[in-house]
Amino acid sequence: MLDAFSRAVVSADASTKCVTDLGALKEFVAQGNRRLDAVNAIASNASCMVSDAIAGMICENQGLIQAGGNCYPNRRMAACLRDGEIVLRYVSYALLAGDASVLDDRCLNGLKETYAALGVPATSTARAVQIMKAQAAAHIKDQPSEALAGARLRKMGSPETADRCASIVAEASSYFDRVISALS
Amino acid sequence: MKSVVTTVVTAADAAGRFPSSSDLQSVQGSIQRAAARMEAAEKLAGNIDAVAKEAYDACIAANPYLNDAGQANSTDTFKAKCHRDIKHYMRLIQYCLVVGGTGPLDEWGIAGSREVYRALNLPTPPYVAALSFARNRGCTPRDLSPQALTEYNSLLDYAINSLS
Repeated sequence: MLDAFSRAVVSADASTKCVTDLGALKEFVAQGNRRLDAVNAIASNASCMVSDAIAGMICENQGLIQAGGNCYPNRRMAACLRDGEIVLRYVSYALLAGDASVLDDRCLNGLKETYAALGVPATSTARAVQIMKAQAAAHIKDQPSEALAGARLRKMGSPETADRCASIVAEASSYFDRVISALS
Repeated sequence: MKSVVTTVVTAADAAGRFPSSSDLQSVQGSIQRAAARMEAAEKLAGNIDAVAKEAYDACIAANPYLNDAGQANSTDTFKAKCHRDIKHYMRLIQYCLVVGGTGPLDEWGIAGSREVYRALNLPTPPYVAALSFARNRGCTPRDLSPQALTEYNSLLDYAINSLS
């Protein structure tokens, strides 16, 4: 497993050179608190994010909870929720480390084949991950949709930045995209 | 590669939980010290040739027997290799400064070094002499800020301890 710093070291070692390009790492350090707030935003809202993503996926495709569907009966629905949480957990690790290696090695490696063998539909899985991606962006920006959240609206209240942590949002989105492309 | 972040993530993953606030605290502790480490890494990267050359010269001066026929520093090829080895240690120390842990030194420098040096019949005290010279050469604020120098010296100490 690598983080942003050890990734730089491993690539420098391939050519037995010192790590000379420290600009990106200094930026990582300077934005460290934003990153930690973003990870905290995901971790603190994880259970809500997962249940909403799975519920959203099912709302759009009711066949999943009818007899023969992949979220029927409760036992399979529970497995679905569990997997949603696992994916989100590894994305939060990758975001904390600033590198996708933990997500690749420990979550995505072989996931597509496993799901194919178990008959889990890839399009539904990708849709749930897409919803989590949108939720993660909303929570990192601390701008959850008031129209959609209703009474369950919950804000982190961490210090606001002018660009609403655009770079961290983009990075988190890239990890979700990585999950989607690994599954399809 | 062992660093604060990978240690935290490994522990969280083993327990199957999201990063907790204490996990985030430990990462923040590492990030707070990172500015000093980056400063030391940048300076060391820029001057690694001079630093390694000085340390190499000092260790040969302290161990002149190495120049005798049949010894480890006797021929031009051997001299180049000795110098390269010292530079290798300095580069690994630069990596450790970047990573914020001793992972690179452990994995690429220390693991197996005892066996290699024994097989090649190389003495370790000259390495210690070279690294000790580098350890005492740094001066604040001429070379580095106090915190950066502390980080740099503690990694040199770590390498010295592994060899002695």
